Amino acid sequence: MPLLSKIKSLLGLALFAIALVGCDAGVPEPNLAPAKAKAAQCVEPTADIRKNHMVYLDKHRDKTVIEGIRTTKHSLNECINCHVAPTREDGSAVHYTDAKQDHFCASCHTYVGVKLDCFQCHADRPQVAENPNYQHKLSSTTYHLSATTAQPDASDLLLLGSGQVQGATQ
Amino acid sequence: MSQINAYRRKFLAALSGVAAGSLASGVILRTVQAGDVPAKPADQPISNQVRWGMLIDINRLTDGGASMVEACKREHGWGNDPKARPEQQAQWIRTVQVTDKLTQHSFTLPVMCQHCAEPPCVDVCPTGASMKRADGIVQVNKHICIGCRYCMMACPYKARSFVHENLTDQRPDSPRGIGTVESCNLCVHRVDQGQLPACAEAAPQAVIFGDLNDPNSRISQAVKTLGGSQIRADLSLNTGVRYLGL
Ligand code: HEC
Ligand code: HEC
Ligand code: HEC
Repeated sequence: MPLLSKIKSLLGLALFAIALVGCDAGVPEPNLAPAKAKAAQCVEPTADIRKNHMVYLDKHRDKTVIEGIRTTKHSLNECINCHVAPTREDGSAVHYTDAKQDHFCASCHTYVGVKLDCFQCHADRPQVAENPNYQHKLSSTTYHLSATTAQPDASDLLLLGSGQVQGATQ
Repeated sequence: MSQINAYRRKFLAALSGVAAGSLASGVILRTVQAGDVPAKPADQPISNQVRWGMLIDINRLTDGGASMVEACKREHGWGNDPKARPEQQAQWIRTVQVTDKLTQHSFTLPVMCQHCAEPPCVDVCPTGASMKRADGIVQVNKHICIGCRYCMMACPYKARSFVHENLTDQRPDSPRGIGTVESCNLCVHRVDQGQLPACAEAAPQAVIFGDLNDPNSRISQAVKTLGGSQIRADLSLNTGVRYLGL
């Protein structure tokens, strides 16, 4: 397959360049700093993930969207959580489209010239603010449950369907 | 809806409310152990043994569903797209006010994707992006959505929206982006992990979420005793979202 061999030589070239750091070959290294701060290894052997990450991602996305399989190993969210720091040291947000090209995926994809549309939809950096607690949004007039798990108890179901008129409390 | 019909419904609702009293405690006892959304092992596919459904009692929804809408916005990050005009903003769930012209009786209900068993949006989709999962959840597989918007036209509940602009910093669990259609997906990412949809969690006093195929689930018991009407039942779409107090 000519395409595959082309890619292989392309990647080989990139690797060669990485091996020759300091020779100023003009080939940028992928920005591995955020990931290396968290783990020693990728989810697959480095040589394998480098070549086959798109295969893993494509397979996993159909498994998730169609079959509801939620394993984390090949999840795009997990790649981003490990490989991308939400902000730089100066506090600015890291995005895939930034001119700086220090987003992990951009740091290689810009160089190899493969356009990704994934981040038109997918968050390209880990979420900063955590999930808010929905219960706190309830107004004071709303019946408030004691349980944090938000599971109604017996008295709730008794009330459910008892025909209290909505307008009266609105 | 004629006045007589409305009256009859109220009367029936009151009757069934009484009937529920004797059954309810048993219903609850069973679900304390099972849980409304049993956690599925992450590596297991969903199955058609389950059909997710939601029962909304609009009489107990004292804010008319506003807190449900807020919770959905926060979970999925829609409603604040910077360049969209108000009428272009995405709307996964909205509140609809209904007034009886004769009596002036008025109430508000939340309307979102009704998760039909026979979804018209799936029938018209040219790519198969508009899909029904095995467990009855209707959603858009955005990876193959081409943004033609046929499904938006086909949906009798006006449940779907289109994203017109480039977005950044979406919620990681709810990717959404330019050129694709989107709608309520019953919070698949939560349900798959044994959590309630965000809106059900925000209105626990009025919403029961669960498995309509399991006769012992709290929702099945509730629809069995209390009923639960479909919006536009005349279309025979067999919706997964049902209402009390319409
Ligand atoms: C737990 C953290 C972690 C997760 C999750 C993770 N990686 Fe990695 N990844 C690493 C580390 C660390 C390396 C560097 C390994 C090395 O130096 O040998 C790496 C290396 C890589 C490389 C090779 C870069 C190079 O040197 O050319 C690619 C490509 C890659 N990861 C893609 C992915 C993708 C795609 C995903 C999601 C499916 C993913 N990674 C998930 C930590 C992670
Ligand atoms: C038009 C929007 C859109 C685009 C573009 C898009 N996705 Fe997705 N993707 C989604 C949605 C929506 C989900 C479902 C999320 C869920 O159910 O939790 C998803 C889920 C996934 C998942 C499973 C969940 C996860 O985090 O692992 C993977 C993997 C994935 N997409 C990979 C990709 C890749 C790779 C690309 C780029 C080639 C891409 N997607 C482009 C919308 C999009
Ligand atoms: C070491 C360089 C490198 C890194 C880092 C890298 N990629 Fe890639 N990726 C490639 C190359 C080269 C291709 C093209 C291979 C081909 O055409 O078959 C590619 C292709 C892809 C494709 C398929 C594109 C298509 O149009 O079919 C996806 C999806 C993808 N990468 C996602 C990612 C994501 C997400 C990240 C960041 C987590 C990432 N890649 C990081 C080198 C890299």
